[in-house]
Amino acid sequence: MPRNDTIVYMKDIVKVYPDGTVALRGVDFEVKKGEIHGLLGENGAGKTTLMKILSGLLRPTSGEIYIRGRKVHFKSASEALKHGIGMVHQHLALVPAFTAYENIILGLPGKVIDRKKIEELMETTGLKIPLDAKVEDLPFGVRQRIEILKMLYRNVDILILDEPTTNLTPIETKELFETLRNLKKQGKTIIFITHKLREVLEVTDRVTVLRRGRVVGVVETSKATPEMLAKMMVGREVVFRIEKKPARPGEPVLVVKDLWVRSDLGGWAVKGVSFAVYSGEIFGIAGVEGNGQSELVEAITGLRRVEKGQVILMGRDVTNKPPSELYRMGLSHIPEDRQKLGLVLDMTVAENSVLGIHRLKKFIGKLLNMKWKNINVHAKKIIERFEIVAPGVRAPARSLSGGNQQKLVVGRELSKTPVVIVAAQPTRGLDVAATEYIRKILIKMRDEGKAVLLVSADLDEVLQLSDRVAIMYEGEFMGIAKPEELTEEQIGLMMGGYHMDQLKNTSSNRKVLEAS
Amino acid sequence: MGSLSSLKGKLVLLKGTLEKLVEIIFAIIVGFVIAGLMMYMGGFDPIKAYAAMFETSLSLTDPYYIAMTLSFATPVMLTALTFAIGVRAGLFNIGAEGQMYMGALGAVIVASWTLPGPLYLPLAFIVGSLLAAAWGLIAGLLKVLRGVNEVVSTIMLNWIAFWIVEYARVYVYPNPIDASKTISMPPPGRLPLLIRGTELSVSFIIAIITVFIVYYLLWHMVLGYEIRATGLNPTAARYGGINPKKTMLWAFIIGGIAAGLAGVSEITGRPPSYAITTGLSNLFGYGFDGIAVSLIGANHPLGIIPAAIFIGALSAGSRGMQTTAGVPLEMVKAVQGIIVWALAMPGLIRLIRRRMIRRRGVEL
Ligand SMILES: Nc1ncnc2c1ncn2[C@@H]1O[C@H](COP(=O)(O)OP(=O)(O)OP(=O)(O)O)[C@@H](O)[C@H]1O
Ligand SMILES: [Mg+2]
Repeated sequence: MPRNDTIVYMKDIVKVYPDGTVALRGVDFEVKKGEIHGLLGENGAGKTTLMKILSGLLRPTSGEIYIRGRKVHFKSASEALKHGIGMVHQHLALVPAFTAYENIILGLPGKVIDRKKIEELMETTGLKIPLDAKVEDLPFGVRQRIEILKMLYRNVDILILDEPTTNLTPIETKELFETLRNLKKQGKTIIFITHKLREVLEVTDRVTVLRRGRVVGVVETSKATPEMLAKMMVGREVVFRIEKKPARPGEPVLVVKDLWVRSDLGGWAVKGVSFAVYSGEIFGIAGVEGNGQSELVEAITGLRRVEKGQVILMGRDVTNKPPSELYRMGLSHIPEDRQKLGLVLDMTVAENSVLGIHRLKKFIGKLLNMKWKNINVHAKKIIERFEIVAPGVRAPARSLSGGNQQKLVVGRELSKTPVVIVAAQPTRGLDVAATEYIRKILIKMRDEGKAVLLVSADLDEVLQLSDRVAIMYEGEFMGIAKPEELTEEQIGLMMGGYHMDQLKNTSSNRKVLEAS
Repeated sequence: MGSLSSLKGKLVLLKGTLEKLVEIIFAIIVGFVIAGLMMYMGGFDPIKAYAAMFETSLSLTDPYYIAMTLSFATPVMLTALTFAIGVRAGLFNIGAEGQMYMGALGAVIVASWTLPGPLYLPLAFIVGSLLAAAWGLIAGLLKVLRGVNEVVSTIMLNWIAFWIVEYARVYVYPNPIDASKTISMPPPGRLPLLIRGTELSVSFIIAIITVFIVYYLLWHMVLGYEIRATGLNPTAARYGGINPKKTMLWAFIIGGIAAGLAGVSEITGRPPSYAITTGLSNLFGYGFDGIAVSLIGANHPLGIIPAAIFIGALSAGSRGMQTTAGVPLEMVKAVQGIIVWALAMPGLIRLIRRRMIRRRGVEL
């Protein structure tokens, strides 16, 4: 089957993890030289596993790998690197305290270090980064560019990107795609994992679809439609538009008054934000990531100090109250970072399924002992309801695929019977079917009279789900409105720092642009 | 294909367990070989020495030897728990040594009182473990309130405890008959022996029970759940409504109690002295050995039992090595050290690597 222009050929790959989980059941995967190849599949389909094998991080249980027609056996990532294969992971692996430059040269022998060459590379690829800035001070999109540059500097010409766009803003995504096309022109081969079908259609040449450890199809992107790809992935039709009845808001449940919060670096991240979320509505916060949304969410959920202002939950002042107290009052919090906040990766699925509610009467006995029977039943229910792919309730959360980890967090938080749900990037990293399901649940919860605060970098998601939406810019709200009252252009301007009043005072948006 | 890959699944699973076993066996062999070479170069017969070691520690010919092994295992089993609980809470608590001294001091204080006979034992255990817990709590408070690294504070507290107890031995509770030790626990305050004529007392049973209590606490109680969550991911623990500071304090307190029990057991359950001897010689080192025991036992209470017995056998066997094989005490100590650390090293490296990864924030 492999032809002359085949650069990667993986044959009959089987991967069994040490805990006995069979992740790949005989996968054939072929990539042509110079193409952008999309890799699609449900959460837990085996995409990351397959790519870790290709990049030498994991060894296949059986199967063969051919690179440029030559059979290879990688014992480590550095051996794969010698063959020009490099992978950028979804959870980036940079050293935060080092500068961008130091991260790029990390681990290289002194004689190959050449700052000029890095600068040239930045020129030719368009990957501009501040070389001397510390990584911890840089936004996610820039960090990712560092990772890509790091790979290119090591002469990688088969570049693997695992869900590179999940943490990017729309603008950053556009820039990334520009870069990818650029690299393609220079003859690089790119393998691109994503859950967003639109991105696949936009940037790839061919797509391989995986399902439960098997290849279900390889298609030319020009001949593909989103419906068809979704069906291949999930094995059934997927509805993209979500039905939504008009909201019937009731009492204000969560009220935030003139909130001031600092960032980790000490500056103001939230500057005097006020709003109320009513029962029976979804209140969305849109905006380019890094404009204070995370700090706002953390302050509301008891994880970050409120310096000034008030958070009122069901009429009670809960400013600076610990999370445990907020949870008792009926708060659910889907955090944006599942690995750092939402899960203890080395604990089991069952243990994680009760994190934050582990002191409920249902789960502890008179001796302050854990009622494992009840906890296991609870975990199984979440697994079933959210179709989590997990070997069992006693498997460590770490062994779940990225999307299934997210499902576990969302499942736990939505199982709490909450009064208020604070959902930050709830569908990040989820496949189309799971995304659809979680969005439906959020709407169902709203219809049941719960108050939902939704923060998402996915503009489509916020606009589709929210009954009212606030646009946040540099720690302030630029305006609050119903999504249907705003044009896409207006939202774009507000995300860039224009106040809603400014937009309304001028007859057309173009004038605002000209004035600036 | 499906059944083939599931068969492969089972094989991979089996391979994982075997690999762990091989690692342990390999470490034991490496330790014994290196130590054997050292003895050989020193002019002693390693085979004879090891035979003597085995003969006087684990051989069933005379229950006396097994009893010796288990009586040496008792204190290190308890101090190992201190370290293990710390590791589970994300702490590097190496203060068991000092906490154990304080526990022993507590028992000697009770021994100095005039009490109705049956009160000696319970009071010795209560006062000793409370004193040790308080000693552990100091390091905990320093960490939680002032951010003082627990490695530094526990090392310092170990030496402070050493000199306090040594002072008390000489000036406060000296034995009027025998200047080399403190006053002894009066007979009603002594734990009964399990085998007459040996040093093995009920304290061994107490240690085993404590191990199981700690196991239950860590894996079946809310506090244990919170301790483990804090140790594995303090940020997620906080998100989960857990107060990591409070949890860490509890880990120091419970660890202190375990070490305190070791100290009290040495006073109430270890013939012949039933007291603290010169230079704390009948206590010195059990706290540090506990760290090795915990590491060998994968910082798991149930792993600690066999690990402690192994270390106990090495200690008990050292007498045979000296008397039968004629190996001098210094050499015996070196042999012990090599074997112990060959076994503990893989665990220690893993632990340190994990801590470094967390501190640097590198993820993969
Ligand atoms: N370290 C591990 N140990 C055991 N099982 C694992 C491990 N890593 C992944 N798995 C399992 O292998 C399967 C495939 O996982 P993989 O991470 O490759 O999925 P994925 O396609 O990347 O999914 P996602 O879109 O959610 O990231 C899953 O069932 C997962 O639970
Ligand atoms: Mg993945």
